[in-house]
Amino acid sequence: MPVPFIMPKFDMDQEKATISTWCKNEGDFVKFDETVLTVETEKVAIDVPAPATGTLARIMFKEGDVVPVTKVIAYILKEGETLADLPTIDEGPSTLSRTEALPIQQPVTAAPAVSLLATPVAIRMAKEERVDLAQVPASGERIKREDVERFIADQKAAGRVAIPATPAARRVAQESRVSLETVAGSGPRGRVQAADVLAAAKSTPAPAAANGREAEIVPMTGTRRTIAERMQQSFQESPHIALTVEVDMTEAESTRKRFNTQAEKLGQPRVTVTALIIKAVSWALVRHPYLNASFNGDSISLWKDVNIGVATAAPHGLVVPVLKNADRLSVGELNARLIELAERARDSKLKLEDVQGGTFTISNLGMFGISQFRAIINPPESAILAVGSLVRRPVVVGDDDDIEVRSIMSLTLSADHRVIDGIVAARFLSDLVIGLESPSLLLY
Amino acid sequence: MPEISYLEAIRQALWQEMKRDERVFLLGEDIGCYGGAFGLTHGMLDEFGPERVRETPISEATIVATAIGASLLGMRPVAEIMFMDFILLTLDQLANQAAKMRFMFGGRTTVPMVVRMPAGSGTGAASQHSQSLESVLMHFPGLKVVNPSTPYDAKGLMLASIRDPNPVCFVEHKVLYKTKGEVPEGDYTIPLGVAEIKRPGRDITVVANNIMVMKTLPVAEKLSKEGIEVEVIDPRTLLPLDTETIIDSVRRTGRLLVVHEACQTGGWAGEVIASVVGSPAFDYIDTPVRRLGGKDVPIPYNRGLEKIAIPQEDDIEQEIRAMVEGRI
Repeated sequence: MPVPFIMPKFDMDQEKATISTWCKNEGDFVKFDETVLTVETEKVAIDVPAPATGTLARIMFKEGDVVPVTKVIAYILKEGETLADLPTIDEGPSTLSRTEALPIQQPVTAAPAVSLLATPVAIRMAKEERVDLAQVPASGERIKREDVERFIADQKAAGRVAIPATPAARRVAQESRVSLETVAGSGPRGRVQAADVLAAAKSTPAPAAANGREAEIVPMTGTRRTIAERMQQSFQESPHIALTVEVDMTEAESTRKRFNTQAEKLGQPRVTVTALIIKAVSWALVRHPYLNASFNGDSISLWKDVNIGVATAAPHGLVVPVLKNADRLSVGELNARLIELAERARDSKLKLEDVQGGTFTISNLGMFGISQFRAIINPPESAILAVGSLVRRPVVVGDDDDIEVRSIMSLTLSADHRVIDGIVAARFLSDLVIGLESPSLLLY
Repeated sequence: MPEISYLEAIRQALWQEMKRDERVFLLGEDIGCYGGAFGLTHGMLDEFGPERVRETPISEATIVATAIGASLLGMRPVAEIMFMDFILLTLDQLANQAAKMRFMFGGRTTVPMVVRMPAGSGTGAASQHSQSLESVLMHFPGLKVVNPSTPYDAKGLMLASIRDPNPVCFVEHKVLYKTKGEVPEGDYTIPLGVAEIKRPGRDITVVANNIMVMKTLPVAEKLSKEGIEVEVIDPRTLLPLDTETIIDSVRRTGRLLVVHEACQTGGWAGEVIASVVGSPAFDYIDTPVRRLGGKDVPIPYNRGLEKIAIPQEDDIEQEIRAMVEGRI
């Protein structure tokens, strides 16, 4: 940004100064602290040095002009900047003749400086951008330049800048995603009315149609927006590594059959593969705390509890209900809890506590025949397990190279490499495979 | 259903309630032999006797104070203040005592009384007998302010007011006394604090009270022929004010005009507008919200000037047109 060159204030009670001579012309190269012009106050003549090194541009007052102190009198373009970088010109009387008395109003900096704490840069910027400093929220003790910039950006984003529109028009514009700037107002003084926005919304083709293609536009709302934000954040912030293993689930499947016989006797629901996988995963997580962790920037939290989230389809998109303390529950208990949570998810009746506190997530797309896939970590967790389909296929087993039909399933672990080294992830997967291939070990 | 006047409707309510409930009695100036300044209590002295139709001296403070005392001892007095203007003489009794007793005594007593007060201009009675001071009374929590516009409402609201355990200021409009409407002969009440949409419409909400309802309805009828549909809301009770009905209406119409005869400055239109603008209906407002009150002058004696001092049908029509046609 070009550096504004302001009329300096030399004396406490000085309000203005008269420009005697410009020693440099527009376009001249000036060095920091080099004399650029001479001014006269009521008391003395003073050389005014350049506030920065660069090219002198847009001299706004000529010799003989009386200029209030702190008023911008010119700009200095830094290297690479052009005239196009200059801010738009301030309106109002730019010069005061020698005889004309100065307005009685306070010197421009005095008013805000007295009542509000703000840095000089913020004050100058507020003045140039015609922002009322009193409305700018301060982030610290003083209003800083960043605060003013943010305020201006917010005002623009909120559409509050100089578009007269009724509250109803603003609401309709937001609902129909029409920019108020594009609507011609039919009200007094060009005020935009609700009917104007409705007409504009009708005549403006939908964005997709404008490209020659038709699309139904689905607004990003609620769950969809949350998913979008969290997935993007996770994928951008945490470096994902993915490791895939195949597990022989034959033993696990026969164990599950025995469980189901038991469940039937007790009148309980059939045990799902997912419940068994949750059991094995929590068993392995207890042994590999870095997989049950969160990255905090300057530290890592290794969670004591093992809370397993299970990605579940719900009417409005993906939800991840959490099975708390999964390592302390039996397969039967996990299964019952999982069924309960899945039902609540389908009915959109999950409570906040049902989806909070997860330390690791499992996503199972095996039932759709997906053989394997990579999942994106569910922040702030540091790993997620993607479960593929269980298929029966011929496998070479034993030392005699026998071929047998076994139930094979593939597991893909995505891990945050900031927390988890490849070898740590591999050891976890290796233990998980042992647990699933020899389910009786889970009892140990 | 028999058609009777606004005045007769109020008398009928008083009559029937005095028959029904022996605790009810009337007091006021000239309400006996003379039948009241407007003839409202005509015949009631003969029917109920001087014990229950009590003539008082010319002291409004005494009338209201007596009513308060009687109500505290279990009676249901209905006091008449001959002109609403004189209510100012009773404000200590009304605002500092009646309005506050229920609260000061922790709910262990109530003040079930009604103070009737004919208000408004249009009779050539000049500035001391023509005011609409309902906004003044709205500033005292503990009071209720009732303000009927039709004979039907007048009877139903009067019966509800007498049966209400709180002090009720029953503001009648002098010019409405002769207006007629259908009124059931039997007993019915209209709950206090519930507004009524006197005419539904989609283009603009006009909130008006007593005589202004009667001035707005013909305007709405006329504009309807041009396709402008005006929704007319009569709050009926000003305190408590049914803002919900008004807010709902503005959400539908996007425009709000409040009309009252009371002086514009400090008038209750400001209260209605603040309630709406500060509500979720804000996002539906599509025209600057407006009010049309009486001029900020004492009501003139001169008939021509008296007319100019308060909103007339033409003023209401022009205001509505300007708002609906987008000229404001």
